[in-house]
Order: sequence, then structure tokens, then C-alpha cells
Amino acid sequence: MKNKIYVCSLLIFLTVFSSCGKKQSGGKKLVIWAMGEEGLRLEQVVPLFKKENPDVEIEIQQIPWSAAHEKLVTAVAGDVLPDISQLGTTWMSEFYTMGALENLDEYIKSSQIVNTKNYFKGSLETCLFDDKIYGIPWYVDVRVLFYRKDLYEKFGVEPPKNWEEMVSVGKKLTEVGKDGKILSYAYTISIHWQEICPFIWQNNGEIIDLKTKEIKVTSPEVKEAIKFFVKLKKENLCPTTALGVDLVYAFRIGQYKSFFSGPYMIEILKKQAPEIDGKWSVALMPKKKTRTSFVGGSNLVIFKKSKNKELAWKFIEFLSRPEIQVEWYKITSDLPAVRAAWENEIFVNNSMLKVFREQLEDAKSPPNIPEWEQIAEVLHQKVEEIIVGGKDIDLALKEAEEKIRSILK
Amino acid sequence: MKPKYAPYLFLLPAIVLLSVFLFLPVIFSFILSLTNFDVRCLGDFINTKFVFLQNYTRLLSDPLFWKATKNTLYFTFVGVPLSIFVSLMAALLLNSPLIKFRNFFRTGYFTPVVTTLVAVAVVWRWLYHPEYGPINYFLKLLDLPTVNWLEDPKWAMPAIIIMAVWKNFGYNMVIFLAGLQAIPQSYYEAAAIDGADEVRSFFYITLPLLKPTTLFVFITTTIGYLQLFAEPHIMTQGGPLNSTLSIVQYMYNHGFKFFNLGYASAISYVLFLMIFCFSVIQMKIGKLYER
Repeated sequence: MKNKIYVCSLLIFLTVFSSCGKKQSGGKKLVIWAMGEEGLRLEQVVPLFKKENPDVEIEIQQIPWSAAHEKLVTAVAGDVLPDISQLGTTWMSEFYTMGALENLDEYIKSSQIVNTKNYFKGSLETCLFDDKIYGIPWYVDVRVLFYRKDLYEKFGVEPPKNWEEMVSVGKKLTEVGKDGKILSYAYTISIHWQEICPFIWQNNGEIIDLKTKEIKVTSPEVKEAIKFFVKLKKENLCPTTALGVDLVYAFRIGQYKSFFSGPYMIEILKKQAPEIDGKWSVALMPKKKTRTSFVGGSNLVIFKKSKNKELAWKFIEFLSRPEIQVEWYKITSDLPAVRAAWENEIFVNNSMLKVFREQLEDAKSPPNIPEWEQIAEVLHQKVEEIIVGGKDIDLALKEAEEKIRSILK
Repeated sequence: MKPKYAPYLFLLPAIVLLSVFLFLPVIFSFILSLTNFDVRCLGDFINTKFVFLQNYTRLLSDPLFWKATKNTLYFTFVGVPLSIFVSLMAALLLNSPLIKFRNFFRTGYFTPVVTTLVAVAVVWRWLYHPEYGPINYFLKLLDLPTVNWLEDPKWAMPAIIIMAVWKNFGYNMVIFLAGLQAIPQSYYEAAAIDGADEVRSFFYITLPLLKPTTLFVFITTTIGYLQLFAEPHIMTQGGPLNSTLSIVQYMYNHGFKFFNLGYASAISYVLFLMIFCFSVIQMKIGKLYER
């Protein structure tokens, strides 16, 4: 009996020690966290990096998007962060506020590859805090109009170029049955900040002015944009709520003739709705004062606590090379964040991707503050109250202003 | 070793585990509820400040919290009696000697309890679909007005209640069934000889003898229903117009979406107090009847 106990404790002792030993010996080991598809496929470019850096060991941990946020936050609290991580652009402010991110200005200054001028303005802004850089855009998502070319032709309309056309085209496309029931809609737009904000930006509006810290939700620009958004719903150009209907299915059967979404929808539509291949296309956002869209995607960050910052930076530089960005597009269909990559013929010769390229020049991201999630929730609630609950716009925006003020306090 | 320490030694594993995973978190979250802990504090603990009862006073003047409380009570007060009624009926049916394939039905009714909620939610979203859903299809067949179940603020909560009752009644049914089978058959025989019909023997034998079971089911179900979260979280995310926002969902939003951990802890302590009060009241009522 006693012997067994000795053996057991010896085993435990050994395992504990051997795992400790592993950690210490890996001075040249880079730990990377990446989410979803990126996490699955990042391994495919690693051999190219290893060719130049043979003595480096790279460990990639794939994290599902649904668990990523929690895992990262816990890792900050528990001090077990990797060297590099992919971060969704809208998460940047939170981790910056926690003080987890390494400032990259010094690295960029001495870099031959990374230059801030190479990036799209809206995408780069997600990395900026007080004019300092805390991340490097990896790939970009920008929302454009996806539309059914065949159905648009059938009804004799072109994709709407501006807000007025959005209404007139929408009225032609929305089909109403004899009993007054709507058979199909011109658009589908959900009550989500990613759908609402572009309208506000297109009207030169802003929820918060980050420079002056002024809440501008009651400004005439915002009000006009919300009014337009409500009008689209009230005139049944898009369904009031889109819960329960599968977007791809509805688009395939022509129940929704257009929607706004990002480049990932290209692959999804090709895979899940091959029947309508070639019958749909993409177009730029409709214009008011500008045709601003929402830009998202992911950035690469180095954590302050990393012990391999130089190597981590080297890897980020590697992923930022135009040719690797092109390679990455071939592997994942993620759109390059680096301008030079777009000069490759894959992008130049693709009429759809050209639209994304043009839209990227006029795209924005929401204010880079950790309270944004809460503010977005207020925006969502108030717009819902106007549309579903029939609340007065002025009153709703006034309430939104008060609520946002109390959040920012 | 002195024998008087021996029991504590045996209890040690349980005490250690409970302390680490239960008592310490409970105490810690109470302390947290007295601070302003948020995103800023996670990176640097210096930013944490004691605000004492400020979170709680803020809670009292937070209209969304009251809305969440109202919704949760609505769900509990309608859902619990309905769920217990359905469970009892199902148990009575299954306990009847006339029933064939008893095991088949018992398994069938219990299946929703062990099915993952996500799968159930996907199916129910289709059932509730305003245009393609079978529920509205039957309503149409019966010439009744159709309902936009999950998107109408008036109907979203009833829709959640129906689904929750359907999903959970099997569990209580099994407990009731055990309670029913513990009632000696001789009572019924005696009653039958005295000329009591089925209805009378139900009200004078079955129901009184089921009292301990019913009390247990009532308390556990109420506690469970007050913590409503997963159903609306998956089906509606608290919408439309916050009509299905529950207290736990509200706490989740503050805790894990916005990272106001101090405020979220305060919410959970208020919920704890509510559950505690309800349980005490129910126990008192139960004791009153026992006399």
C-alpha cells in the first residue's frame, strides 16, 4: 500500500515538473490564438514562415468565435495570454482598456513592411487609441448591397444609388398579394447597429463625437437617418423583424431581393445556394451625403505580457506582406487589409471584389470605446421602440441621449 | 490522532471543494457587488473602488431591471402552476391501470427534459414561425387569427412559457409518478367499498397524500423558473422590446456583455434574495397545511 502511494506521488511530481520544464525551454515558441475559420487554416501559411525561421516553434490554438470573447477576458484576468491573437475589430477598445495590448508604434517605425499608409482608413481606426497603434489589421469585412440581378432586371430596376432611389426601387420590388399580404420584400435590414449606423454615417451623422465627447444622437443628421430607417420598415420595403427566416433561403427563393452584408456572404451563397449562381451581384451602398459603409474584420495584436514580442512582430509582419495577404485570400477568402495586395490580378479581374475595394475607401467603424456595446444596445432598443412600439422619434432619441450619458459617466 | 478530529478529516474533501467552488465565490461576488468593478478594473485592480450600496440604489431606479423583474415574475406565476398542472395530469394518466405502453409514453414525455435546449429552440422557432410554422397553420385551419409568436411583444412571453412548460414537465411528472406509486392501493380499495367515485378519491386520497411531493415540486420549480435564462437567451435574446428580458438575462448582459461585474453581482444578489423569500414563504405555507 505504502509503495503505491510513493509511486503515485512520484508520478504526480514528475508530471508537474515536466510540464513546468516545457514552458521554460520554449523561448522560441510563439503561441497564437485565432478564431473560427482563421484558426483552422492559419496552419497552412505557417510552413512559409518556418522556411525563413526554421528554429521557431509555432503553436496555433483555434477558438470558436462563440467562446473567444470569454476565453480572452479570462486569460487577461488569469494572466495566461498567448503572444499574438486575432481580435475582432469591435473588441479592440475593451482589451485596450484592460491594458492588455502592446503599443506597436515603435515596431512600425523600424519596419520595412508595415506602414500605416498601406491600410484603409476605417480599418486602421479600429487600432488607434489616442493616436497610438495597438494592432495591425489582418483582414477586412465591409458591408455592401447584395442583390438578385435577375429579379432586379425582371422589375426593370437598377441597384439603388442613393436614398431616394432606395425607396423608389424598393417600392417597385416589393410585391403585395391580393389580400394585402406581402409576398416578397425589396430588402431585408435588421435592427442592429451594424445596419443602422451606416445610414447615420451616410448622412454625416455620428452617435458620439470622440474628440469633444459630445453625444450627438439627437442631432438633425442622426434623426433624419433614423427617420429614413423607420420609413423603410413602415413602408414595408423590408420586413419589420427578420427573426426565424433563413437569409440564404429567402434570398434564393426571391423573398428578399437584396440585403446588406460582408464578403463572407459570397462563399456562403455559393455553397448554400448554388441554384442562383450568377443571378446575384453586389453594389455599393446607396448614397446620401456619402456612401459610408461599416468596416469590420480582425486585427492582430501582441499582448503586453508576451515574452516573445520581437518574434511575434516578425510573424505579424509576415502576415502583412502583400503576397501573403493574397495567399491568405486564396485560403480563406478573407479580403486583404493591405492596399498593395489588392493590385494582384485576382482582385483586379473580379468585378464583385472591385465593388468591395471601392467601398473600403468609404467605410467606418463605430467609436473605439469600451462602452460601445452598451451604447449599441441603447440604440437598438430605442429604434425597436420606434418601429415596433410606435414611440415618437424625438422622445426616443432624447431618452437615448440620457441613457448614453449615464453610461459614459 | 484524536478520534474527535476524525469526522472532520473525512469531511475535508467536501469542505475544501465546496469552499473553493461555492463559498468563496459567493462571498467574493458579494464583495464585488459593493464595488464598481468593470472593464477598467480587469487590467488594473487599482481602478476598483468600494461604492457600498450604490449598485443597489442604482438598481432600484433602473427601469430595465424592473421590467426584467416583472417579466420573470410573469413567467414564474404563470409557468409554475401550468407546469405543475401538466405534470400532475401526465403522471395521473401514466399511473392509470388502463394505460398500455406505459414505458413508451414515460420515456416520450421525459425526452424533452434531456434534449439540449439549443436543439429544442431551433425546432420551436420553426414551430412558432409566423408564416411557415405549423402552429399558425393549425390556427388558420381552425379559423383563428394567427399570431406572430416571437416578434410580438404581447405574445413572446406566452410563447416562451409554452415552450418551457413543454420542455420541463417531464421531470416533475416522474417525481409525481413516484409519489403516486407510494400511495398504498388499499386506501383506494377502502374508498371504493365506501362508494367513493374516482373524482372523490382523487380529491380526498391522492391530492392530500401527494402534498409533500407537491411542495417539493413547487419549491424546486419556482426556484428554477425564477432563474429563467436559457430559453429567452436562445429564442429572443430578451426581445422584442425587452418583453422576454429576464433577471438572469439582464445580469448576463451586464456581467458578460458589458463587463459591469459589480453591477451584475448586485443584480444576482437581489435575485438570490427573491428566491430565498419565495422559498421561505412556500415552506411556511406547506407547514401550515401539514397541521
